[in-house]
Amino acid sequence: MTMEYAIETIDLVKRYPTSTRKERPIRGGQVTSFSGILSALRRMRGPFVEALRGVNLKIKRGEIFGVLGPNGAGKTTLIKILCTLVIHDEGEAYVHGFDVRKEPAEVLKNLQAVLPESRGFNWRLTGRQNLEFYALLYGLRENEAKERIDYLLEFTKLKERANDGYQQYSTGMQRRLLLCRALLRSTPILLFDEPTVGLDPASAAEFRSLLHDRLAREEEKTILLSTLNLYEAQGICDRIAILDRGKITACDTPDNIRYMMFDEKIFDIAFIDAIFNDEFEKMVDELEEMPGVHGATPEVDLERNFNGISIRVNKNMDLSGILDVIMKRGLKIRMINTEEPTLEDAFMAITGQGKEQRTWGS
Amino acid sequence: MEIPIELKQIIAFTKRDFHSWTTYKALVITQIINVFIGVFSWGVGAAYVQKPVSEMYGSDYISFLVVGIAIGNLIMPLAQGFQALNPWTLETILMTGISTPVFVIGNVMWTYIFSILTFIPYLLIGIYFFHVKLNANIPSVIAAFTISAAILMGLAMISTGLRIVTKSTDPITWAINVLGNLFAGITFPVVYLNTIFFPGISAISWLLPQTWVYHLCRLSMLTNASLLDPKILIQFLEGSIFAVVLFPIGYKIFQWGVARSKREGTLGWY
Repeated sequence: MTMEYAIETIDLVKRYPTSTRKERPIRGGQVTSFSGILSALRRMRGPFVEALRGVNLKIKRGEIFGVLGPNGAGKTTLIKILCTLVIHDEGEAYVHGFDVRKEPAEVLKNLQAVLPESRGFNWRLTGRQNLEFYALLYGLRENEAKERIDYLLEFTKLKERANDGYQQYSTGMQRRLLLCRALLRSTPILLFDEPTVGLDPASAAEFRSLLHDRLAREEEKTILLSTLNLYEAQGICDRIAILDRGKITACDTPDNIRYMMFDEKIFDIAFIDAIFNDEFEKMVDELEEMPGVHGATPEVDLERNFNGISIRVNKNMDLSGILDVIMKRGLKIRMINTEEPTLEDAFMAITGQGKEQRTWGS
Repeated sequence: MEIPIELKQIIAFTKRDFHSWTTYKALVITQIINVFIGVFSWGVGAAYVQKPVSEMYGSDYISFLVVGIAIGNLIMPLAQGFQALNPWTLETILMTGISTPVFVIGNVMWTYIFSILTFIPYLLIGIYFFHVKLNANIPSVIAAFTISAAILMGLAMISTGLRIVTKSTDPITWAINVLGNLFAGITFPVVYLNTIFFPGISAISWLLPQTWVYHLCRLSMLTNASLLDPKILIQFLEGSIFAVVLFPIGYKIFQWGVARSKREGTLGWY
């Protein structure tokens, strides 16, 4: 048992049986013993697919940790293992120091999971009635439950619609009611599986701010977030892991992951009223020879107007030297822009989904 | 004294199902109407048949039949209540960490309470319109209902445990139900099977749990069967064997189904 981390997985493996049968079905006379029958029946279940292939994660207390990955990468499987809904085949997983396989009851006391497909709400009951039902299942006393429900309905801005039937709720309201349920009992760890899918941009932003500002920063909860939304991950996660075909292929802060695959950024400068002449051609050569500069491309139109220059530089380069070279030539600068690799660029490169985009920004 | 949390949790299930039920206004009305239509149609049919059932219960056929229908409506929905579980709800409820007995009892409690409510009009209509003669022994009735509830909850858990894995109907419960319809003596005493088919076939009936459900309930409601009578007590003990065997088997199969489904990752699947 390791108490240092809120969540820890060690060489976690999960295989699912497929329905494809490669073996021929059992026929009379083929099996002669009970164990033979069992093994024949097992073969009939077909080959297995590996949803997780040795996943190692260490999530610190109070951290917002994002798990990114394409569809079918194993994100939901990982979350379901952690909330004891799926049993893993190999390796170990601990939540708040408790083994998810051996101590599921203790695990469930310390985490809450918001799984979009596991709504579990009764559509004919009101939002409040649904919450009251779960409050009792969580073992809250009546007064405590009432206070908590009132607070959460206020917190998620559902109070005015609390006595409406759940079926009258919009997707955003349903998602907020899920959050209410997850927070009925105050647990130190919260798991969210794609929490903003289906939400409009304003509701998604509101939800993210709720997770980041209130739950993580104010209440110091550990949050594990699985998402397909890279913007979301970059915006609120302290660290992220990229899960690809059941394996963690990268795990670091969003900034470090962004530069993991690319060691450069692009420095774009736009000029006012300049004609591209020999002197400026020499300036481009000079810039290209500077240490830390990987290349410089002038933007010149058909009338020889020198509109700007795009310079690829080392990610840590001091840009003042470049500006000095330009200013010496008396060029008037209209705009300066620095393009850095996005998490999406890194994600595409790491998961091999954008092989043709190994150089970004082009 | 503080009410135990387990009891509160069972009440929570019951309240949830009651609230949900009351929102289906058309369903509420049709269910109530069905009670009346059901008892009238069976009663009228039976009034023409009027076969003696004195051999087993010392009663007339209409009393036998109406009590049988009432028992069917009281106890049989237990199995349905548990089977109607939504997999999404199952995942969410399992994550609350409640114990399996609370989960099992909580899921059937409202169905059982509703069955009791409909059981009374069945009997009243039977008594006032079809002259059903009840000769009930209350302790025996309670014992019979308890044993029957345990038997049927055992069957329901077996069925649910298998359905969680198969995601469809399970052959075991289907077979038990089909055999029950044929041999459990729902609308006629099982001894008639020997006359209808061939001598000795009614022995099959006594291997079916449903036969014992109907038999013990009819015995206690129609014959004033006292548990102090050793012959009656032995019959109740025989019926209890089914309860004692089926309830824990059902519990284990249900737990096995959940664990198996967790291993295969199919808990939330339909």
